[in-house]
Amino acid sequence: MTEHGGTEPGTHSASHDGVLMPVPTPWPMAFALGVALIIAGMVTSWVISLLGLVVALRAAVGWFREVLPQENHAAVPVRAETITISTTRGGPAQLAALARHRKLLPIETFSVTAGIKGGLAGGTAMIVPAAIFGWVRYHSIWYAVNLLAAGGFVSWAGQSNAFLAQFHLLGLLAAAGIHTVASLLIGMLYGAMLPMFPRKPILTAGFIAPFIWTSVLYSALGVISPILNARIDWLWFVISQIAFGLVCGFVVNLQVKVRTPQFQALPFAVRAGLQGGAPNPGNENKKQ
Amino acid sequence: MSTTRALDGIDETLAPQGRRERNLIYEWLSTVDHKKIGILYIVYSLIFLLIAGFEAMLMRIQLAVPDNHFVSPQTFNELFTMHGTTMVFFVGMPILFGFGNYLVPLMIGARDMAFPRLNAFSFWISAFAGLLLYFSYFGGSGLYAAGSAPSVGWFAYAPLTAKVFSPGHSTDYWTLAIFLSGIGSIGAAVNFVTTIVCMRCKGMRFGRMPLLVWLYLVTACLVFVAVSPLTAAQIMLTLDRYLGAHFFDTQAGGSAVLWMHFFWIFGHPEVYILVLPAFGFASEIIPVFSRKAIFGYPAMVGATVAIGFISLGVWAHHMFTVGLGPSANTFFVFATMVISVPTGIKIFNWLATIWGGKLIFKTPMLFSIAFLFQFLIGGLTGIMLSVAPFDWQLGNSYFVVAHFHYILVGAILSMIFAAFYYWYPKMTGRMLSETIGKWHFWLFIIGFHLTFDFMHIPGLLGMPRRIYTYEANRGWGTLNMIVSIGAAIQAISILIFAYNLVHSYFKGKAAGHDPWDAWTLEWSTPSPPPDYNFAVEPAVNSRRPLWDLKHPDDPDSDYE
Repeated sequence: MTEHGGTEPGTHSASHDGVLMPVPTPWPMAFALGVALIIAGMVTSWVISLLGLVVALRAAVGWFREVLPQENHAAVPVRAETITISTTRGGPAQLAALARHRKLLPIETFSVTAGIKGGLAGGTAMIVPAAIFGWVRYHSIWYAVNLLAAGGFVSWAGQSNAFLAQFHLLGLLAAAGIHTVASLLIGMLYGAMLPMFPRKPILTAGFIAPFIWTSVLYSALGVISPILNARIDWLWFVISQIAFGLVCGFVVNLQVKVRTPQFQALPFAVRAGLQGGAPNPGNENKKQ
Repeated sequence: MSTTRALDGIDETLAPQGRRERNLIYEWLSTVDHKKIGILYIVYSLIFLLIAGFEAMLMRIQLAVPDNHFVSPQTFNELFTMHGTTMVFFVGMPILFGFGNYLVPLMIGARDMAFPRLNAFSFWISAFAGLLLYFSYFGGSGLYAAGSAPSVGWFAYAPLTAKVFSPGHSTDYWTLAIFLSGIGSIGAAVNFVTTIVCMRCKGMRFGRMPLLVWLYLVTACLVFVAVSPLTAAQIMLTLDRYLGAHFFDTQAGGSAVLWMHFFWIFGHPEVYILVLPAFGFASEIIPVFSRKAIFGYPAMVGATVAIGFISLGVWAHHMFTVGLGPSANTFFVFATMVISVPTGIKIFNWLATIWGGKLIFKTPMLFSIAFLFQFLIGGLTGIMLSVAPFDWQLGNSYFVVAHFHYILVGAILSMIFAAFYYWYPKMTGRMLSETIGKWHFWLFIIGFHLTFDFMHIPGLLGMPRRIYTYEANRGWGTLNMIVSIGAAIQAISILIFAYNLVHSYFKGKAAGHDPWDAWTLEWSTPSPPPDYNFAVEPAVNSRRPLWDLKHPDDPDSDYE
């Protein structure tokens, strides 16, 4: 039964006699025993290690002979009889009666880059009300910048408002990093969410989302940045969030939508624009 | 009942009939078949599970009442060391490797693992490592007639492991057993990665692989990265103890903190090495018993890969109490919190899969639902502990012990039980008893919650982990008694499970090839599958090839 098939490691081919499979061999087990005994000798006796070395060497030779010059394979006979792959449920008959039994996800959505562009635009827009706030309240456009950066600098926790109103390069870099990352993440969130609420994008992006985000931050800011929490002006914060939301939502909505894999599920005539519109996902029955 | 004929068979074979005359012992010692090696891993792990469970029971008896001296302090130290080491290295990892060995080739349409002989070697070296560890109970006295089993804890902090503090060979047994086990783990990981990357059947692109296979791929990659530093650390510790090196010798310029970094660079990814396969089980079982496709497959894959990456950057949250400084503390706090995002994605997707599904509450599904709740709670206490000041208060308390047991037992062990009930029919051709299974489930859940819910409270009250006994006036007595009663109930449930395994093997209902009406390739083979798995190498067109075969008028391939 045993034959030396010239197969690559890990490949098994079918032959007229059956399927070629690796021949069972005790040498891997013996090699493992040898290695274990070598190690065990370190806590027992050198004699055990010596025994392990002998076993390991013999097993290595045996193992090599299993795979060199060719792997030792044997043809395992195949007993063939058809197995019917079938369901035990009454699914197919019911499914056939339902033309649209699959839940279709949106067939078009915004790409990730749309969210990134929106985030960058929104992040730029919200700098304006933040700078106005700093200028009006502390006569410095740097106050809001340093306040944001202070979350990353423990030593700034006790600094005065005058200190925060001054220009600090480190503060500018830290604030730019925090602001950019946060803007990108929120922008991508907008990109993902806006197709879900297509009817009133200005209300959704410009007002509802900023208020929800502000609510979340209102409860969490004490943990994220205590210094920002102690000095933040929530009215101006909401204004800057609305600026972000309106601009971000506007920029995202300007982008061309991309088709999701669900689009491929539509009939060709619909995809080609020859017939009807895409089904409304909200009315679809769920998949079984 | 519909019996729609869908294919002339991905597989056209019957299970081997009758019993061949052969030497059973030699057959199992020499096997290179991935299925038999998988079963060897599983049986070996179950034996160690019983041993480690017995050790846990002895500890709980010791702690059930104040001022107890049921075992000696030295024995108690040995018990928690052996329990932790055994559960992580000789139960958790091998049992998951066992299921992976059995299932991955079947799920990707392969006939074996890529390196069958290496596969056998990996198992046997791990098995001998476990035997070496437990031989310490007989041979640990060593040259100095001191010590027996290892007693340095499962993470064996320096300088306790130095020769001067741990004379004799007990610590060496621990070091060398872990070293050997590491060789086996890396061998298994090599096999998983090569098999998954190179041996998928026709049509099974990465985007069509079952999620369990994805999770094993990421797990194997984590094993490469995580086990290597541990193995290096074991070699360094051995050099310290045998040749007088000073890597961790604090009195000769070595660093105890260096050991902590080495250990936890392994130790935290290890949690994910253990939990990712459990996620894989959930991702296969929940859809089948909800009668829906998994929700958000791409997000699940992305979350899996993200967890793999992020888990490599959170290790020092185990070291907040060392005094890492504000920068390191801040980084590891945030990194630890960030990992809750991809795990949260997974939980939401499992819930979305269940939502609106036609739920079938068989035992695998019951354990899967328990897993969802328990993993969530364990994750939440993990987020609490990720906050450095909170950890300073509760680090090394029983709150931490309760937290990680919620993950290891509440999540991982629950899903291992679910996997047993789900795939045992494929492995043996027999169904596990549902009645006994439900007894197992409910007793286990009651015992688990009695034990680990109540264990949080003595931790909050200041009870440190690894404490030998405590005074009656501490107010921990009643809580510890409840915890111990819960442990006893869990022990009973696991004995019932063991009985079910044996009883059903001989008297269980015949399973057939597809008892759950499932959708992945392993269910297209006989139960148990023949040596070659598939007489005809399969080809797939979607993530659920058996759905396509069962519903040719409505295949998934039209929608993916």
